[in-house]
Amino acid sequence: MATEPFDVIIVGSGAAGGTAAYVLTSLGARVCLLEAGRYYEPGRETPMFQRHGEAPLADAGTPDKPFGFYDGTVDGGWILPEEPYTTAPGTEFRWFRARMLGGRTNHWGRVALRYANHDFKAYSLDGLGADWPFTYEEFAPWYDRAERMVGVFGTNEHLPDIPDSPPGCLQPPPVPRSYERLVIAGGRRLGRPVVASHEAVITQPLNGRSACFYASPCLRGCAIRANFQSPTVMLPPARASGRLTTITHAQVYEVDLAPDGSARGVHYVDRLTHQHHYLAGRAVMLGASAMESVRILFNSRSARFPGGIGAESGLLGRGILSTPGSNVWGRFPQMEGLPPFNDDGVVSLPHIYIPWWLLPEQRAGRLPFARGYHIELYGGRTEPSAYTFDQFNVVSPLSYGKRLKEEARRYYGSFVRFSQRGEMVMRDSNRVVIDPQMKDAWGIPGLCFDVRWSGQELRQTAHAQRSMAEFIEAAGGQLVSPLPSDPAQAITAPGRMIHEVGGARAGADPRKSVTDSYGRVWGVPNLYVIDGAAFPSSANKNPTLTIIAFAWRASEHLRKYLRNELHHA
Amino acid sequence: MPDRRETLAWLLRALALSAAPVVHVDSASARQGCAAAPAKPDQIGAAWRGDRGYGRDPDLLHPQVTWALTLTAQQKTAIARLADVFLPEEGSSPSASAVAVPEFIDEWVSAPYPQQQQDRVVLLEGMAALECAGNAPLHTLNASQAQILVAGLHARAAEGKEPEARFFARFRHICLIGYYTTPVGVAELGYVGYQPSARFAGPPPEVLAKLGL
Repeated sequence: MATEPFDVIIVGSGAAGGTAAYVLTSLGARVCLLEAGRYYEPGRETPMFQRHGEAPLADAGTPDKPFGFYDGTVDGGWILPEEPYTTAPGTEFRWFRARMLGGRTNHWGRVALRYANHDFKAYSLDGLGADWPFTYEEFAPWYDRAERMVGVFGTNEHLPDIPDSPPGCLQPPPVPRSYERLVIAGGRRLGRPVVASHEAVITQPLNGRSACFYASPCLRGCAIRANFQSPTVMLPPARASGRLTTITHAQVYEVDLAPDGSARGVHYVDRLTHQHHYLAGRAVMLGASAMESVRILFNSRSARFPGGIGAESGLLGRGILSTPGSNVWGRFPQMEGLPPFNDDGVVSLPHIYIPWWLLPEQRAGRLPFARGYHIELYGGRTEPSAYTFDQFNVVSPLSYGKRLKEEARRYYGSFVRFSQRGEMVMRDSNRVVIDPQMKDAWGIPGLCFDVRWSGQELRQTAHAQRSMAEFIEAAGGQLVSPLPSDPAQAITAPGRMIHEVGGARAGADPRKSVTDSYGRVWGVPNLYVIDGAAFPSSANKNPTLTIIAFAWRASEHLRKYLRNELHHA
Repeated sequence: MPDRRETLAWLLRALALSAAPVVHVDSASARQGCAAAPAKPDQIGAAWRGDRGYGRDPDLLHPQVTWALTLTAQQKTAIARLADVFLPEEGSSPSASAVAVPEFIDEWVSAPYPQQQQDRVVLLEGMAALECAGNAPLHTLNASQAQILVAGLHARAAEGKEPEARFFARFRHICLIGYYTTPVGVAELGYVGYQPSARFAGPPPEVLAKLGL
């Protein structure tokens, strides 16, 4: 265990912080990792074999556990009474938090898709939002490292929206489930690609981790370490290095700067004792989650940075991004009354997905929206739960008695949810600011969100709704409910997909960005933003794999910086 | 608020069509209850304040219901009568009450969370309306009387009449959850997963054939 003064203080232990802790300790740095939540041990705590019916309310979601009693999230949720936030009048923002070692990596959906070059350079292609300060080619080596460490199943399909991985990066995907095969056949009829999803689950042993055994939902976490969670993949080797100190219940609220403008430590409050502490280090990395990292920067005010560190460009807190999402449910009569068979697969994660297939049309200006979406599929013969009958209730709301029992058996497993996951266009008007009136239970000023969908996202959603309906029909199914005429009724609220990023975007020009290409805040050479806050754009792909790769790259850069600094000292 | 005469009318029609014995009427208590407070169920708390639930960090390996169960024995009996009409015994398939659905509903409507509190209002309101309609305490119904009552309820729900439609939908839904998440219910649906295995084989040939794949 390392002691003060640390080489690096890392704030947050999730995808970004866990990766940085692993990379930096492996490169010889002495690291202190600060986590706001409690210690968490998936090997001991994960309910691998508890069945829905054994949980209170049959595992239905509640405000205490929005994704069900057994969900891997500890001390988290949408509404945390101790940690309020506000929204601008007429807007909505859903902000999911997880106060635990590993943060939201314990729960996430494990979709792990690489951004393509057109994702990094979208502004250059259509003039909207902002470019990343590097190309895909420049960034790809860190995707390779990330995939090899994380363990991702998937295939190389040579499709424009999803770059191929070099040999040795991807593991073989599981074969498709029954309903997934119907959709593959439907895609063939439509001439649209339906391919193996890329998921952070291993189907073969990796670095001492066991392969998936195809039982127990991934969203609970995984005691056998077959999926990616920071506490099962990144933190064990960091700990084994002997160079990692972890402090839990530590809510960081301010980065402390030396007179020369460099970072020299952080202030944090112990969430249990309410005691304030100071920790010194030679460099600071913020991986507190995109919005929390922005909040820390805003709250780090000084004579040098009166509006907070990184606020000089006026862009801190601006360009908040979310994922437009919507659902369409299909019912598949051919799946009714099937004989019992095990269709679990990698429980609760899709084996296949529909990548964005209209890039050429979009580039040619033939679509009324600038950015794409992909489609995920969920459903079929999952373990009966509090949600099994939601669609059945729509299809047959009035049966009872023997007929109800017959129908329950017949319809079970015959519904499939198609889910749009889209790209939002980055706009500076979508922002967070500090709400000076509102403080959390520890007296730290909280955030006010002002994030709105534009016509871009609504037109994309209208298109996605129609596409999903076409897929359902082509696969031999029917819509459970008619599509809403207004896409605003279909699109989920900003934040709801738990992919919020942006607010301290990376760029090549200090006047047009908050950090440099390594996430280093302009003007503070040893302060890095390594999580989703640094994203200048958010592709239609969930952000975790890119956060891991970005944090990895930043960590290698910081290691070089520390060596040089030592050399020059 | 339901029109009591209208509600009574469907029940009487339903009773007249059957050979079932006339529902026993405890005139004093039933009438007084209906007149005084026709459908005003108790409420545990209007809003969830983040307390009294199982919390955000419960012991996942040892699940516990942390709230007090609140239904009376008579309410649970009444629920059992109704639930057994929705999900009756059928050959080797047990009735709702035989797999503890009434106990599950008690757990559900006693929970302090908003959805469950809302369901509590819907269920108790609906039961109060049914009680008024029948002019008899629900827990005193026998099986065939319950059958008649639910037939009338179904007819009202099919016409979209409230509160019957709301009650029918939520009561049925919670019964389905309670029933089909038990080991018996899971087996009846034909869920045979949760089997750790070295590989995922995919659907068997006979299933693929049925799917035309």
